[in-house]
Amino acid sequence: MSATSETLENIIHKEYKPGFVTDLESDTFPPGLNEDVIRAISGKKNEPEFMLQWRLDAYRHWLTMTEPTWAYVNYESVNYQSISYYSAPKVKEGPKNLNEVDPKLLETYKKLGIPLYEQERLAGVAVDAVFDSVSVATTFKDKLASAGVIFCSMSEAIKEHPELVRQYLGTVVPTSDNFFAALNSAVFSDGSFVYIPKGVRCPMELSTYFRINAANTGQFERTLIIAEEGSHVSYLEGCTAPMRDENQLHAAVVELVALDHAEIKYSTVQNWYPGDEEGRGGIYNFVTKRGDCRGRQSKISWTQVETGSAITWKYPSCILRGEESVGEFYSVAVTNHCQQADTGTKMIHIGKNTRSTIISKGISAGRAQNTYRGQVKILKSAENARNYTQCDSLLIGDRCGAHTFPYIEVKQPSAQLEHEATTSKISEDQLFFCQQRGLSAEDAVSMIVNGFCKQVFKELPMEFAVEAQALLGISLEGSVG
Amino acid sequence: MDYAEHYQTVSTDLPGHSLSWLQALRTRANIDFSTSGFPSPREEEWRYTNITPIEKKRFTPKVSAGDPSAAAELIQHHRLDDTWSLVFVDGVYSAGHSRLTGLPESIQILPISEALERYPEKVHTMLQQAADCETHGFIAFNTAYFRDGAFIVIPDKQVPERPIQLLHVSTQAEGLSVLRHLISLGIHAQATVIETYVGEKETACLTAAVTEIDLAANAHLDHYKLQNESDRTFHFGGIYSDQKASARFRQNHAAFGGLMARTEIHSHLGQAAECDLDGLFLASGRRHLDTHTILRHHGAHAVSRESYRGIASERGRGVFSGRIVVDPQAQKTDAEMNNRNLLLSDDAEIDSKPQLEIHADDVKCAHGVTVGQLSAESIFYLQSRGIDEASARNMLTFAFANEMVEKIRHDGHRQQVRDALLANLPQTDVRGDWL
Repeated sequence: MSATSETLENIIHKEYKPGFVTDLESDTFPPGLNEDVIRAISGKKNEPEFMLQWRLDAYRHWLTMTEPTWAYVNYESVNYQSISYYSAPKVKEGPKNLNEVDPKLLETYKKLGIPLYEQERLAGVAVDAVFDSVSVATTFKDKLASAGVIFCSMSEAIKEHPELVRQYLGTVVPTSDNFFAALNSAVFSDGSFVYIPKGVRCPMELSTYFRINAANTGQFERTLIIAEEGSHVSYLEGCTAPMRDENQLHAAVVELVALDHAEIKYSTVQNWYPGDEEGRGGIYNFVTKRGDCRGRQSKISWTQVETGSAITWKYPSCILRGEESVGEFYSVAVTNHCQQADTGTKMIHIGKNTRSTIISKGISAGRAQNTYRGQVKILKSAENARNYTQCDSLLIGDRCGAHTFPYIEVKQPSAQLEHEATTSKISEDQLFFCQQRGLSAEDAVSMIVNGFCKQVFKELPMEFAVEAQALLGISLEGSVG
Repeated sequence: MDYAEHYQTVSTDLPGHSLSWLQALRTRANIDFSTSGFPSPREEEWRYTNITPIEKKRFTPKVSAGDPSAAAELIQHHRLDDTWSLVFVDGVYSAGHSRLTGLPESIQILPISEALERYPEKVHTMLQQAADCETHGFIAFNTAYFRDGAFIVIPDKQVPERPIQLLHVSTQAEGLSVLRHLISLGIHAQATVIETYVGEKETACLTAAVTEIDLAANAHLDHYKLQNESDRTFHFGGIYSDQKASARFRQNHAAFGGLMARTEIHSHLGQAAECDLDGLFLASGRRHLDTHTILRHHGAHAVSRESYRGIASERGRGVFSGRIVVDPQAQKTDAEMNNRNLLLSDDAEIDSKPQLEIHADDVKCAHGVTVGQLSAESIFYLQSRGIDEASARNMLTFAFANEMVEKIRHDGHRQQVRDALLANLPQTDVRGDWL
């Protein structure tokens, strides 16, 4: 191996910084899943009767389903009876304001660098933080309320805005959609709810921070974003978890609804604990994300930077129903050590003149497997639909794998589709050129990798882009070769 | 599955029944087939091709030699003059129609039914080497019930002076042709093999052919296939090749006929092997044409190029699935796959699934897919030169497809493929003098 391989090695091996555990008293259900557990979750949240029924229907359907095995990932299957389906930091009553939130919890978020306090206004981001299963605090509520925006936890939304929840929940990802979505529908404990009224441009970026803290718990959050006619919202999501030897399950569902001329931008920086170098521990990230462009000229844009999780199974999708609606998917997926990612998107073109763009960058190092799996489907009604797909993979080291499995289905002759994919490694020439200009091998690799991902990073909101670049450096630490 | 039972009862008198190893092989394949049945769209590799119509029918193999004159005209028209040819009528070798005059003794070209009597040991070593019954039900079906096929062995350093044609003609309604071809080229040997599949109009039958190819080091095979069977035929053709070091395999596939047809071309590439796959399909009428390729780069420094073009018109449906697998030790692999498709009508459909599965880092791999329609500008340009719209469309469609036809190096075969292409263009009546 050349000098550069050693540098890559150094870049790959960096520790997982958010891997600490917060010692909090928490209210956790004993492991196991049955109808009583679901009733108990629903009861804990004082949910209306229709929600309980909805959960039970989902659970009964889930019982008839089997875990999907088609993804290019290998893992010991999950024992769904050994997981605790509800864990919450113990509080006597719901916190009225931030001062009532457990200081240890705030400490945790501070360590993670999340601006919970309003004095950190400069950051200009409204945060809803979800700790284990429940939402602990939402900042900037008043300012958002004055614009008419509803940004709160899902359980609050179920209580305060049941009509909206009832109208939209499960309409994009039905309870019977897939194994993990059905499970999530049955047991979801919290999540974020966003409603942007007609014609409103959300005054600030909205953000959710997810944290799994307790051991042996699963996190099942549910996010629902509704953008009414002519509205605009940008939403960010971040995630971390402590380092533990056993695997933990995260099965979230995200539903987006964009009505006429509305635009939703959804960005994720996923940094769940990826397990150690030997592949012990880490989060199983089985997520269903789907956006529905219901209205004319609506737009949904997914941007994701996936660096964490032991197993990732995630396909943020767009249903392009409205005429001239637009779907976008920008993704950087980094896998290192023994991580496995099977991720991509689905673009379902239904309306006329719909357009979609897919840019996917996969980086695989160590012994990791990184798979792009995407589907572009053009139905007969989608006249003049247009899709452009580009998926590039970068291999670092000779023991990793990078795979591309696109599915292209076209039933409309006026559609235009292009798909391109390449796989390569960082060329010696590129490295040599950079080094010859005085860059260290490590900097050269990091520069090349950042350049490789730039198309995606430029889609991220400013503060996230910085974080993403830093994360990329950490994830690949020690992998330069 | 009662159809599995049916095929078991009708498949009597299969060749090689005195060979115990073959009987054992067939029994095992039969068990595999009875368990799995024909592939279903639930299997990932068959998700776009639903062959349940085959399960509903009961095809039967030809029982007697039949009337030799029945297929004479088709054979006359498709047999290439400058080749040694083996002709199979409804899945049975027809010595009367085949032409093997002037064949040197060192080269073996004979029907497998005969080879099983004369060289059973050689057949034993070749059979089931490149194809695996466990892949899917069709291969098991073929192994269990193959009635005939070609047996071609070219020894080291030999280059036959003529190409070899395998001509398949189906004439019998509800007929069943199950063929197994074995092709083996020794070190530095070279050969050209052309497989032609044609049928009487309106004959609904099932053709299930499996070709196993073994290429020794530095061998070079040019392989062509034309599938132009009748509108109601079901066709499955699997071509499985094993390329040793520096062996070269060039395959060109053209599909125009059948009701539902699938061709699989899988190759296993050894060190510094070269593989060129080109193909064309035109799915008109209610046809469903499926091309499925897997190239497995096993040795380092191998090079592969794939270029497939598809056209779907009327209610036709075209499926392309291509997979390139690069094993961990296959460093310096250079692989490219390209799939371009034309969708010509509202009721047509194209499904494409190009896949890369890469386990080595020092490789160059790429694939590209496009799906679109004829460019309005090009049609307008031709119209502005006084060409009517239908002719302009045909001209552009032909030009798109002809690039694949031009790659065929054998004149006679190229002419046949071009004729089949022209006959299947959407507006056949406006074939102008522009050729």
